[in-house]
Amino acid sequence: MSSFGFGLITAAVLAIAAVGFTMQFAVTNVLNLAYGSVMINSAFVSYYLNVHGVAPWVSLFGGVATGAVVSWALNRFIFTPFQRRNLAPITVVIVALGVDLVGTFGLQAVVGGGYVSFRQSPGTEFHVLGMYLSGLQLIILAICVVVLGMVHWLLKYTRLGKAMRATSANPNLARNSGVKVQWVISTTWLISGALCGLAGTVFAMNTGVFEATSAQLYVVLLLAATFLGGPGEPYGAMFGALTIGLATEISAAYISPQYKEVIAFVVLLGMLTFRPYGIFGSEKTL
Amino acid sequence: MPSAYAFYLATILVYGAVDAMACLALNLEFGFAGVSNFGFIIFQSVGAYVAAVLSMPAAATSNGGFQAYVLGWNLPWPLPWIGAALAGGLLALPFVFLVGKRLRGDFAAIGLLVAAVLLNVLVKNYVPLFNGDAGISIVPAPFQSIWNPQGLGYQFAYGGAAIVLTVVVYFLLKRITESPYGRSLRAMRDNDIVADSLGKNLRLQRTVTLVVGGMVAALSGAILVGFISLWAPGAWGYAETIVLFAAIIVGGAGNHKGAILGALLVPLAFEEVTRFIPPLSNPALVPALQWVAIGLLIILFLWFRPDGILPERRRILSGKSPKDVQVPTGADSDALVKLGNLDELNFRELLRLGEVTNDQRVILSTQGLTKSFHGVTVVSDVSIAVHQGRVTGLIGPNGAGKSTTLAMLAGTLPSSGGQVFFEGRDISGLASNQRANLGLVRTFQLASEFKKLTVLENLVSAIPEQSGDSFWGAMRGRRFWGSEDKQNVERAMELLGGFGLEQYADAYAGGLSGGQRRLVEIMRALLAEPKVLLLDEPMAGVHPNLAHKIGDQLTRLAEGGMTILMVEHELSIMDAFCDPVIVLAEGKVLAQGTMAELRANSDVVEAYLVG
Repeated sequence: MSSFGFGLITAAVLAIAAVGFTMQFAVTNVLNLAYGSVMINSAFVSYYLNVHGVAPWVSLFGGVATGAVVSWALNRFIFTPFQRRNLAPITVVIVALGVDLVGTFGLQAVVGGGYVSFRQSPGTEFHVLGMYLSGLQLIILAICVVVLGMVHWLLKYTRLGKAMRATSANPNLARNSGVKVQWVISTTWLISGALCGLAGTVFAMNTGVFEATSAQLYVVLLLAATFLGGPGEPYGAMFGALTIGLATEISAAYISPQYKEVIAFVVLLGMLTFRPYGIFGSEKTL
Repeated sequence: MPSAYAFYLATILVYGAVDAMACLALNLEFGFAGVSNFGFIIFQSVGAYVAAVLSMPAAATSNGGFQAYVLGWNLPWPLPWIGAALAGGLLALPFVFLVGKRLRGDFAAIGLLVAAVLLNVLVKNYVPLFNGDAGISIVPAPFQSIWNPQGLGYQFAYGGAAIVLTVVVYFLLKRITESPYGRSLRAMRDNDIVADSLGKNLRLQRTVTLVVGGMVAALSGAILVGFISLWAPGAWGYAETIVLFAAIIVGGAGNHKGAILGALLVPLAFEEVTRFIPPLSNPALVPALQWVAIGLLIILFLWFRPDGILPERRRILSGKSPKDVQVPTGADSDALVKLGNLDELNFRELLRLGEVTNDQRVILSTQGLTKSFHGVTVVSDVSIAVHQGRVTGLIGPNGAGKSTTLAMLAGTLPSSGGQVFFEGRDISGLASNQRANLGLVRTFQLASEFKKLTVLENLVSAIPEQSGDSFWGAMRGRRFWGSEDKQNVERAMELLGGFGLEQYADAYAGGLSGGQRRLVEIMRALLAEPKVLLLDEPMAGVHPNLAHKIGDQLTRLAEGGMTILMVEHELSIMDAFCDPVIVLAEGKVLAQGTMAELRANSDVVEAYLVG
């Protein structure tokens, strides 16, 4: 049961990250492989605020802001100009890999290779429904629920959310129907970037100790969650994150912690091979 | 006593050859065939491991058994290297499922990347396979029992041998890429859906590419491990693949010399130059900056010099000298396109039509053809019959399902229900390339030229049954396919002359004007030697005068026995050339008949003609 608890936390962090990732794909058709590097950079900004005396839950906002601004800038100054050249989607993915290297190792060059951790106590341990969760973990869960609720509200009940879905389905048609597509795309990257920064920071807090390359393989989990639910589908990403989060932690408990990510890899490969549009998606979404 | 520099030089030779060989292999996959193998490093790695365990003695007996590994067959050179190459080829086979035509290139790339990460995790943690994280060490060097591997002579000989093998690989790969098969690979790279519709088997082409690339990559790994005598998971993280991609992008994708240059500039120079940077207080700084530099190289080159230092070479098939190649300028607009001696062309000979009896029988038909997306039915229960030797028109308002119907006929889109019959045979289950090979060829509504193939290459690439258009055909060399290819080029030139575009034979198709590209596309479809030609708005963007001249030729082709089904918006084209005309509206067949009959039909007029 404790692995279920861990799985829930992993899933919560992953859900925030995957929703941001899949939103970026939805509106711009970019598989942003630099996502992990933005996450960890945001975490480090929070960490430095924290080291300089800011309370951890306040420093979180520094991470969120970093993620939002950096992601927006990436799209505005790198991905969009490349896409305007009408290149194959793979070129933009290669560019994203390049950005990931610059982001991750640029950070490492600045902060050094050592591990760091937030100055906070994990809080009292709670015993809920047979799971042992720390205060920190409960807060992460609460944040996740609130944030995903906000995403749901945004997508379902706001004009912006409708415009996002329209842009995702068919940018040209959306433009012709009076949607300010450029504005929608920029805003989406700002919001998804905020989710990315938030996910990075809570990921670092939850991991305990972290360093510049800690999130390098996180993108595989992200991709697994994203493709499980269908790329570009925020609700699919939530479902995918829950499945992958639980599956990795439970397999860590029952098989071996060394192989805990293997299940995510296998799920991702299986989805790409047999149902690249996700469990619920249909071909037309691609 | 030889100096340390001499040993260093020998090491550089080996590393340079290994990197160059790996880059040549990746360039075949990425630069020529457009297969973005983000997991490339696992192919090099499997070669290193397999060569190691084939050449090492059984694990229990070696050095007190401190390493665990499989095999341990103690084989003499060159068997371990051959085994390595075979393993590299075999490793490619599971990925056949990923690189079929239904998956986007970037998704397949992600799959390969993930496979690389997954294999690294497995090898690292499953010790009995290749000694886990610690890796395999004390791998015997070839001939070490008779020649001291630590000697300078041995090391230079090793470097020399590695270079010789790289040169062999260079010529081997060149044999593939300069053949008609190489042309098909590049066509697939530029536009896979179109290559598929012209009868190219994408899955097979990609598989061959991955197998050949995998074998070469594995050989490079075998050469490396024989020299450095150890191999561990740390040496083949997924990011190593990105370094090789950076090399190809810097050197020039689609150019073998570019790949070699990139190998010398990126992996080799980066590793070696930084050796001489004095140690700093932060030991992580230099490696970190190395990675930053690789990332920046990729981004900056793709932006400022996307073709690399040595761009892909233009293949001039017309026999002109490179200086005389004429490239279209913006100045010649479609209105000025002058058709050549089109009326004098002997299509029967040029397109190898053979003797066709024009008996007007039903050659292509559908029974209840249906397509739905997301539960929305866009084509519903369409049953039509197309007669041989006629130009049949397909019209209807926007969204009527014309293009979807055409795509289902050609097999580009799978149907949700119903059947397609061609020459009396149910072809509903056939893929589009198989249908093309039967003689059912389509064109596309959107621009579909192979951008980085010349106009002439675009045309010749479509010709079916070329003897050099297979892996083995290519391997047999120019002597095998050269004269046939020359004839094919001449046929394409003659057709090009008929359409008045012979001066642009060697221009890249991507540089032509819209109307010229449509002509190239029509010519290319004709050279695919269709029995039934499916044209999707062939006259869109073509000057009206030109459109009518093309229409005349289509009529002439139909009289000669070719069957044409044409989707078109322009009713004057329908009036002039198409009989019968089928009207689709809201996914259903509304009416069928001559244009005169349709104009008298109030349903049709209401749905379309006045609308």
